[in-house]
Amino acid sequence: MMLNPILEKDLKTKMRGWRTPVLLSIYLLFLGGVLFLFFLANNQLLNYYNYNSSAFNPRIAVNAYNVIAIFQFVLLMLIVPAITATAISGERERQTLDLMLCSDISTWSIIIGKLIVSIAHIMLLVVASLPIMGTVFLFGGITFGEVMLMFLFYVITALMVASLGIFLSTLFRKNVTAIIATYICLGILALGPVIAFFIWGVFIERNYNIEITYSIITAFLFPSPGFGFASFFAGTQSSIFGSIFYEIQNLAEKETSFLRYLKPWMINGLFNIVFSGILISLSAWKLKPVKKIKRRKR
Amino acid sequence: MLKITNLVKKYGKFTAVDNLCMEISEGQIFGFVGANGAGKTTTMKIVAGLLQPTSGEVLVDGIDISVKPRAVKRKIGYMPDFFGVYDDLKVDEYMDFYAGIYGIPYRERKAITDELLELVDLSHKRDFYVDSLSRGMKQRLCLARSLIHNPSLLILDEPASGLDPRARIEMKCILKELRNMKKTILISSHILSELSEMCTSIGIINQGKMVACGTVEEIIDKLSHTSRIKIKVRDRMEEAIRLLQEQPSIGRIDINGSAIEASFKGDELVLSEILKRLVMQGIPVVSFTDTGEGLESVFMHLTEGSEEYDA
Repeated sequence: MMLNPILEKDLKTKMRGWRTPVLLSIYLLFLGGVLFLFFLANNQLLNYYNYNSSAFNPRIAVNAYNVIAIFQFVLLMLIVPAITATAISGERERQTLDLMLCSDISTWSIIIGKLIVSIAHIMLLVVASLPIMGTVFLFGGITFGEVMLMFLFYVITALMVASLGIFLSTLFRKNVTAIIATYICLGILALGPVIAFFIWGVFIERNYNIEITYSIITAFLFPSPGFGFASFFAGTQSSIFGSIFYEIQNLAEKETSFLRYLKPWMINGLFNIVFSGILISLSAWKLKPVKKIKRRKR
Repeated sequence: MLKITNLVKKYGKFTAVDNLCMEISEGQIFGFVGANGAGKTTTMKIVAGLLQPTSGEVLVDGIDISVKPRAVKRKIGYMPDFFGVYDDLKVDEYMDFYAGIYGIPYRERKAITDELLELVDLSHKRDFYVDSLSRGMKQRLCLARSLIHNPSLLILDEPASGLDPRARIEMKCILKELRNMKKTILISSHILSELSEMCTSIGIINQGKMVACGTVEEIIDKLSHTSRIKIKVRDRMEEAIRLLQEQPSIGRIDINGSAIEASFKGDELVLSEILKRLVMQGIPVVSFTDTGEGLESVFMHLTEGSEEYDA
C-alpha cells in the first residue's frame, strides 16, 4: 500500500525542521504557564506547600481544567489557520504547484494529503498537551471520558478550520491574503451567529413576545464553534459563560422535538463535518486546472 | 503524437493563442520559437494540462486533453520555464516524492532515480539538499523529474534560459541523449539558432499565431534566402501594396511611414522585375532598396507585427 505522497513528504519535512519542535515547546510552555498561574492566583500552591489549608478544593481543579481547555481552544483557532491557509497558496508562491498539477495525481489526493498533514500537526499539539490536561486528574473532579470527548471536539473543529484554510488557500494566490481571509471567515463563523441571535432577540423576540426555545437557539448558533465548545461548560455556573449554557441546557431539557437528544457540541460537530466535506470538495474542484468536458461524437 | 487544432486561449479581450494548429509526429524534436509573450508558454501549459483552452482541440496520442486530462498527463513530462523546488528535500528525496506523485511503486523508485540522476549527471549530488544546487543543476534535476514516469512526450519550456554557457552545453548534451532515446520533444526558446542544431522541425509563433512551420532545413532555407526591401512611393501606396502582394516572391508586407517594407525571396533579376512592374503601372517610386539584413533580423521582422508570413 502506498502512502499519499504529499502527506509523506510534508510530514517528513515538517517534523524534521526546527519550526515544529519550537511551536510545540511554546505551545506547551504557554499551557503549562497558564495552569501554573491559575493555581498561583487561587493561592492553592502556596496553601499546599505551607500546609495552611487542611483540604484541597476539587472545584479549583475543575476550574483549572476549564481554563486550560478554553486557552487550548483559542490557541487552536489561532494556530490552525496559520498552518493550513498556506497549504496551496504556499505551493503556488514557491512555484511547485504546477509540477504537481501536471502529474496524474488527482486534486482530491493533493487536498486530502494537505488536510491530513494539518490535522496531524494539530493532533500532535493536542496529544502533547494531554499530560498538562491530565494534571487535574491528580485532584479529581474530571473524568477521562470528559477529556476524550473534548479531544474529539478539538479534532472535529480543527478539521473544519483546516478545510476552511485549505479552501481559501486554493482561492487566493498569496499566503498572507489566504491567512487573513481565513481569520476573517472564522471570525464571521464564530461571532456572526451570536450577533445575529442578539439582533433577533432585540428586534423580534421583544416586539412579538416570542418565547426563546432550544430549537431557536440551535437554528441561530449551530455553525459557531463557540456554541459547541461552550456546551462542555454547561455545569460551570461560576462564570457568565457557564451560566448562559446552563440556561441553554435547561431549555434543551424542555425541548419536545428530537433536538433535545442532541447537545450543542453534537450539533456543531455535525455541522463541522458536513461543512468540511463541502469545503474539501470545492477545494478539489477549484484546484483542477482543466475541467473535463464531454465532446459530441462526430 | 501531438496534434493541435484551432487552439485559442483568451484572457478577457486579449488573445494569447490565436487559432494555432500544429502536429508533431513520434520521435520528432519540435522547436517552438518566438519572442517573449508570443504565446509559447501558454500553448505548452495547455498541452501539459495546466490551462483550460478557450476553444480548440489538443490530442496526445489520439487522446483529447479536455476529455481525459489525467490519461494525457501520464504521457507527458513537463518542465516549466520558471519552477520552484522544495528547499528542505534532498535530491533523492525530491525524486522519490515525484515518483510517489506518479504512483510509481516503492520498490522501483530507487532504480529509476539512479538511472535518471545518472542521465543528468547528478548522481554525486543525491544526498545534497536541493537548495544547495546551482541553477544549472536545478534545471537538470527538474528535467530528471519530468522523466520519472517515462513519458512519451516531453514539453520543455525554455530549458536553457538563465544558464551560463557551460550549463547550456550540458543541457544540450542531455537533450541529444533524449533524442537518442526516441523521445518526442516539444522545446521552446526565443533564440532560433539555439534550437536549429537539435530540432527536426521548427515552428515560429508570433502574437499567438503560427507564422512559419516546417523542417529545420525548410525554415533556414526560407530565412536565409529572404531579405527585406524598402520601397518609397510619392503616392498610390495602396495600389503599390496590392501589386506587391500579387508577387510570389514577396512575403510579409509592413508599412513604415511613407515606406513599404517587405520580405523578399529571390535574386536580383526577380527584384528588378518587381521594380519594372511598379514603374510600368505608373506608381511614382521614389526609392527602391534591398536593406541587406541578415538571418536574425529577418527572423525579428518575421516575429514582429501581426500580419501573417506566407512564404
